[in-house]
Amino acid sequence: MKLEIGAFHVKDIKFGDKTFYEAGVLTLNKEELLKVVKEDEHITTADFKIVHPGDNVILCPVKEAVEMRCKVSGGHGIFPGVLSEMEVAGSGRTHCLQDCALIVVGEHAGGFQDGVIAMGGKYQHHTIFGDMVNLVLVADTDEDFERHEQQKKNHALRWAGMRLAEYIGQCVKDLEPENIEVYDLPAINQRGPEVDKLPRVVYVLQPQSQMETMGYNTLIYGWDANHILPTFMHPNELLDGCMVSGSFMPTSSKISTYEFATNPMIKRLYAQHGKTINFLGVIMSTLNVKMDEKVRCVKMAGQIATSLGVDAAVVAEEGYGNPDVDYTAMLVELEKLGIKTIGLSDECTGRDGASQPLVSMNPATNALVTTGNVSQMYEFPAGMEVIGELEALARDGNSGGWEGCIRPDGSFVMENNGMFCANHISGYSMRTCADF
Amino acid sequence: MKAIHYINQFFGQIGGEEKADQTPIFHDGLIGCSMMLNGMVKPEIEVTNTIVCGDNYITNHTEEALKEIFAFLDTKEFGMFFAGPAFMAGRYGVGCGIVCKAVSERYHVPVITSMNEENPGVEEYKSVAYIFKGGRKATFMKADITPMAAFAKKIAKGETLLPAAQEGYFPRGIRAEIPCDTMAADRVIDMLLKKINGEPFQTELIIPAMEKIPPAAPVVDLSKATIALVSSSGVVPVDNPDRIQSASAQKWGKYDISKLDHLPEGVFKTIHAGFDPAAMCAVPDRGVPLDAMRYFEKQGKIGKLYDYFYVTVGTGTTQAFAAKFGREIAKELHDAHVDAVILTST
Repeated sequence: MKLEIGAFHVKDIKFGDKTFYEAGVLTLNKEELLKVVKEDEHITTADFKIVHPGDNVILCPVKEAVEMRCKVSGGHGIFPGVLSEMEVAGSGRTHCLQDCALIVVGEHAGGFQDGVIAMGGKYQHHTIFGDMVNLVLVADTDEDFERHEQQKKNHALRWAGMRLAEYIGQCVKDLEPENIEVYDLPAINQRGPEVDKLPRVVYVLQPQSQMETMGYNTLIYGWDANHILPTFMHPNELLDGCMVSGSFMPTSSKISTYEFATNPMIKRLYAQHGKTINFLGVIMSTLNVKMDEKVRCVKMAGQIATSLGVDAAVVAEEGYGNPDVDYTAMLVELEKLGIKTIGLSDECTGRDGASQPLVSMNPATNALVTTGNVSQMYEFPAGMEVIGELEALARDGNSGGWEGCIRPDGSFVMENNGMFCANHISGYSMRTCADF
Repeated sequence: MKAIHYINQFFGQIGGEEKADQTPIFHDGLIGCSMMLNGMVKPEIEVTNTIVCGDNYITNHTEEALKEIFAFLDTKEFGMFFAGPAFMAGRYGVGCGIVCKAVSERYHVPVITSMNEENPGVEEYKSVAYIFKGGRKATFMKADITPMAAFAKKIAKGETLLPAAQEGYFPRGIRAEIPCDTMAADRVIDMLLKKINGEPFQTELIIPAMEKIPPAAPVVDLSKATIALVSSSGVVPVDNPDRIQSASAQKWGKYDISKLDHLPEGVFKTIHAGFDPAAMCAVPDRGVPLDAMRYFEKQGKIGKLYDYFYVTVGTGTTQAFAAKFGREIAKELHDAHVDAVILTST
C-alpha cells in the first residue's frame, strides 16, 4: 500500500473574503465556515478565532483537534466510514495543511474528557498545539441530554470539527504540495530478501475503548473500538484517517484525531523500515473493563504477532489506571511469546508522587517510555485571555479540575489530567518522569 | 539560612564503641566534620550547632534521645538539618535516619544525610530523608559531604532540584514529571533498536522485582484451626495508641479482641487516609470483620479466632515497609500457633 501525503506548511492563518491557501498563509472566509458548522442544527452558536504560539491565551474546554486535509486520489474522504463511504484508507494522495490544527472548543459546557491548551506561558510547550498556529472553532450546542453530564459525547462539536477539516482541506486539493511524504509498505511477503533479513516489528495500539455505552470511544472507520477484536492493519490506514478520537477518559492520556493521523510513532518506525527493522504493520487492539475481555484481546493479539513472526513490538496504551492492566498484560504476553517489547504510555504517581505509577506492574516490562504524569500539578497565573469558558474546568467535572481550582483573581491550579492530549501517547511527548 | 548538624560519638570526638551509650551533647558551636560542612555550605547556609549522640543510645533509647534533641532544637532557629555522613556504619546510619525522620516530621525542614548503599539505614529511611550515596569509610568524608553541601545550597537558593540520580541521593519513592530533550517516539526507537540488538538500555520506569512468596499449605481442618485477622484498613482503638500514620505507615499495631464480639463505633475507628472513613468509622467491623468471625466461631466453622488483630494502613505504604510488617507479624502469629490469617484490605 502506498500513500502520498502532500504537505502544505502553514505559517499563518487569517480571515478574508475567500478561502484559499497561498505561500504559507491559509486565508479563511468565516461565513463559509459557519455554514459548514451550521449544517448540524444542534449547533446553536459558533465563532472562529485564530491563535498563535506565544499568545497569552488559554483554550478551554477543548474537545478535539484535527488536521485539515483533503483526499486527492485513492479515496473519497478524509474520514472513511464516518463522513464518507466505507473504503480502506491509506492509498493514493492526501493533501494536508501541516504545522497547524483545527481545535474545537466548547463555548460554555465542558466535561470530564475535555481539556486545556495553553498557547503561551510556562505550559505552552506541554501540548504540540501550543507550538503551532491554530484555527479555533468555539461553539455551543443544544445537546441538553448531556449538558449536565460529566461524560459528554460531544457529538455535534466533534463532527463539526471533522466536516470543517475536510471543507478547509479542499482549498489545497488542486495545488502542488510543497513536499510529498511517501509511505510505501508492500505486502509482507513482497519486501525482498534484504528487508526479510531484518527484525520484524509491529506497532500494537490499544486505543481507548472502555466505555460500554456507544458514542464515547475511539472509532475505527466509524466503528466503536469497544466492538473490535485485535486486528492487523496497515500503518497507512492510520495515517490516512481511519481513526477518530473518542470523547472519554481524562484528556491528557487521550490521543487526538490530529495525532492518530500524524502519528509520529508510525512515522519513526517507517523511517527505520528497510534500514534497521522490517516494519510489519499495526496490531490494533483494545482496552476493556472486564478481566476476561482484557485477557481475550491480549491472547488474540499475541497470536497475530506469533503468526506474523514478530521479533519486537512497540505497545502504546491510550489511557492510564484500569487500562494499565491491559497494557502490562499485553507487554507480558508478548514477552512470554519471545517478542521484545517497548511500552509507550504515561504514569499516575498521585498528588504526593509516591503512588505506584502503573496500576499493574510486572518486571517483565523492562523497557518503558514514559510520556508524562497525570498527577502533576500545574500553576497558571492570572491574566491569561480565555477562549471558551475557564469555569468549565472547575464546574463541569473536568478530570484535572475541581471546584475551587480557579482563584478569585483568575489564577488557577490544575492536574495534568486535564491538559488536552498533553501526554501525547502518540509519541510527540517531550516529557518523561524521574525518581526524586 | 541556618542549619544544625547531627553526628555520632566517634565523629563527635567522644570515643569509639565504648562510648556508644553517650546521651546527646549539644555544642554551642561546631566540632569535627561540622566545620568542613559549614565551610562548604557558606555563604548561603550557616551551620550553627553540632549535636553529638551515641549510636546505641539513639537506636536503643530512641524516645528519650529524641525528647532531649527536641528540647534543644525547640529553642533554635534553623531551616535545614544535616546528619552524618554515616558511610557503612550500620547503627550510625540508622541513628541518622531516626533523627532525620523525627526532625522532618516535627520541624518540616529539609533533612540531608549520606550513607553507603550497603548501610541498612538506606532501605529504612530513604523515603523520609535525602540520603546521598556515600563511600564505605571515613576516608570518603570530604567526597561525601561535598554533594550534601551542594544540594543544600541549591535548596537554600531556591534552585530547581534535579531527579535523585542526577543530584546523587537515593530515590525517595517519589516520581514527578520532567522535561526531556528527545521526543517520546525517538526514545522508543532508541530503546527498541538497543533491545533488539542486545545492547544495554535504560527503561524510564523501573519496575521493581517482586519477591515470589510460595503460598502456605492449605488448612486441613478449619473447625480446629486458629484464625487471625490482619488488616491494612487502619482500624485502631479511637485514640490510636500506637500513633500509626494515616498514610505511608511505618508501623503496625496489635489489639486485644478476646472479650469483644464486634468493634463498637466510638471505641474503634479507621485512621486510613485513602478513602472516606465515615462508613468504616460507623461500623469498624467492615474493616476488621470481628462480628463475622465470631459468628463462624460460634457455628463451629472455625476452631478459634485469635485473641489479637493486627493492623496497619495500606495507602502509600512502601513495599519495603509492608514486607517488614509482614515478616514481623508472621513471626508473632507463627509463635502463637495461629494456623491461618484472613487479610482484609481496602
